[in-house]
Amino acid sequence: MTHVPPPFDPELAAALELIKDMISPGLTPDEIAEVRQGPGIQMLADLDLTMGGAFEVEDRQVPGPEGEPDISLLICRPAATESAGPRPVIYHVHGGGMVIGNNRVGVDVPLEWAKALDAVVVSVEYRLAPEHPHPAPVEDVYAGLLWTADHAAEIGADPERIVIAGASAGGGLSAALALLTRDRKGPQPIGQVLMCPMLDDRNDTPSTYQMAGLGVWDRTANETGWTALLGSRRGGPDVPAYAAPARAEDLTGLPPAFLDVGSAETFRDEVVAYASRIWQAGGVAELHVWPGGFHGFDGFAPQAAVSQAARGAQLAWLRRLLGA
Amino acid sequence: MKELAGRLTALDPDAGAAVRVIAYFDRLAESRAGVEALVRGAAVLAGCPARLVDPERRVHVRVEADGTRRDTEAPPDPAWPSAALSPGGAGMLWLERGGPGGLPATAQDTRSDPAEPVAPSVVEAVILERAAGAVRLVLDRTRGRAPADDPALVETLLDATAPEQARLHAARRLGLDPAAPARALAPLNGRPRVIPADAETAPLAGRTAVEAPVRPQTGPTSQAAAPRPAAVHGTASSETAAATAAQPRPVRAGGTAPARTAEPAGPAAQAAPGLRTGAGTHPVTEQAAPRPRTGPTAGPASAATGLRPAPPGPGLPAGRLGVGPAVPVLELPRSWAEARTALRFTAEGTPQDPGPQVVHAEELGGIALLAGLVAPGSEPPPDVRALEAAAANAPWLPATLDAVASTGSLRAAAAGINVHHSTLQDRLTHAEHLLGWPLRTPQGRLRLQLALAMRRLARP
Repeated sequence: MTHVPPPFDPELAAALELIKDMISPGLTPDEIAEVRQGPGIQMLADLDLTMGGAFEVEDRQVPGPEGEPDISLLICRPAATESAGPRPVIYHVHGGGMVIGNNRVGVDVPLEWAKALDAVVVSVEYRLAPEHPHPAPVEDVYAGLLWTADHAAEIGADPERIVIAGASAGGGLSAALALLTRDRKGPQPIGQVLMCPMLDDRNDTPSTYQMAGLGVWDRTANETGWTALLGSRRGGPDVPAYAAPARAEDLTGLPPAFLDVGSAETFRDEVVAYASRIWQAGGVAELHVWPGGFHGFDGFAPQAAVSQAARGAQLAWLRRLLGA
Repeated sequence: MKELAGRLTALDPDAGAAVRVIAYFDRLAESRAGVEALVRGAAVLAGCPARLVDPERRVHVRVEADGTRRDTEAPPDPAWPSAALSPGGAGMLWLERGGPGGLPATAQDTRSDPAEPVAPSVVEAVILERAAGAVRLVLDRTRGRAPADDPALVETLLDATAPEQARLHAARRLGLDPAAPARALAPLNGRPRVIPADAETAPLAGRTAVEAPVRPQTGPTSQAAAPRPAAVHGTASSETAAATAAQPRPVRAGGTAPARTAEPAGPAAQAAPGLRTGAGTHPVTEQAAPRPRTGPTAGPASAATGLRPAPPGPGLPAGRLGVGPAVPVLELPRSWAEARTALRFTAEGTPQDPGPQVVHAEELGGIALLAGLVAPGSEPPPDVRALEAAAANAPWLPATLDAVASTGSLRAAAAGINVHHSTLQDRLTHAEHLLGWPLRTPQGRLRLQLALAMRRLARP
């Protein structure tokens, strides 16, 4: 098998030149602590959460999983009081390879959607691996969804119109959340937005080999993230679907899915496979593979033409889903 | 890392921002990024809108700081930092930064009161230089180095027997908008040319016709034109004035040089783009000529003759030139045929071959029919033979008769050729004797104009 990688999109390749000192393709377990404190995460989290006054922002402590600590929800509600009725909710799960980040990271993306769609954004803080291995992260994410559905009226939201969304590890956790709440007969989201989601702990697709040492989040980093979450179980026979959704046997009965991924990234093949399996299970999915995209390209280089197209596709799908 | 790129200019330049800019554009160039990506890079890295304007190639790209493509019709502000794509070229890359709202400046403003240029930062200068260099390479690769100079494409475009698709393809390759009118140019020396109709920089309407550029007998005009090269390549202010005179259009395409930091400051780099290769001759002459020739205002038929010289605009071939009518792209073969006809009505502008160096087919009117009656190299009609015989006796005769035929009064004609009014009267009496018909009656002037036109047509 050839390991020649697809070329990066020209604009994305140039953007990598700008961020290469802050982002390296690989991540080893002993680098986790350093990256958590590094400037990259600070910059990702350094956002005007009000979007220039468009949103009212609060942090709420809500109950965590049974017997576990409370969790924190970042709740962003449109500042405009007039609305046709309860608003849809974007329930956001941040990324960071299961090991880094907080509920500010990447929330600008759902905030942009919410501004266009008059929606509420709820972004969940979850405990990170390796200190808190599976199932802590996904159970925290589930607890946040329960609270959001139960308290929708408090935040002017419609519990029947919750869309779950996340990028990278957040996309993987969103996919896992969809499986979990389906099986537990919890709140039923009406859609799942899985942006370059981290789905498969086995880390052995052709794209994981092709992109080794390149771009953002290569197979070394991926092994670090999954091992932090699963320990020695990673890649073995008994990894649960709620940890790695690619392991799920049954993909029926899921809400409509939007999936996107770059052609030049580790997760390409597992995301394409997951979309295919949803279709094979009779489900609804829209899949975009953006040529020359590295992992998270639309977040790192939002100005690039391909990033604008990717962002446009996300919003267009949400508009159709919500009829907004 | 989101928006890191946009914050680059906020970084300390000493912290390697310039190095990153260079790496950014090198990487874009390596991966053969397109023009829009390059302009976007400039906008994002500089944190302000960036604009590429190349009138010769009809390229106009504007990208905002967030990467959104948003073109505009408004002219660039000369105060913005900018870089020419190539020394002396018309293409410019601008960073839309500084100035109160970027008010568009007119050509007049620029000449009399140049907007204060905003000095670019080190990073901006590097951005301009790298982006402009990369854009030039892409345009050379994708649009052709000199679009109007590809003979095979022009030939296809002017060939009525070529398939329409092939002609439309050729038009696009030449940088022409297939939906916009264009005109063919027939130079005496040189290959056919095709230009967009709106690229004509010598508007015909409302203009005072001027001398053809080389008229040794008209002292003041040639003296005024003589110092032109020095003026053009000299100081920035004279260059600006020349550019203003040469290009009264709103798009001056960087005629003002002061903010052009990324270019070496050599004279070539500062030359106003429209003034290369002497193409600015006519406008400068027009400004300086003390007694402009007033064109075909003499006699009842003169309004239809259209033989007044219209100076070619910047970039037009020097020398005798027939200009075809503005037509849809697919009708360019007709424009070409009429341009060649118009070429036959041109003259060298010398004492022995006086007359306009540039003739527009659209202004010939019924006179154009003469071209079908008098074949090149054929036996000249009797009136032309009479002219030739008279000219052999009196060398001053062709220029004198041309002045009489193309000015509104004998007084103006005398001034135009620098002779006293009474001298002209004496000459005309002599000429009437040689020719055998009157020159100072309306009928006689028409006969003279026809004879002069047929004389040009009968040349081999």
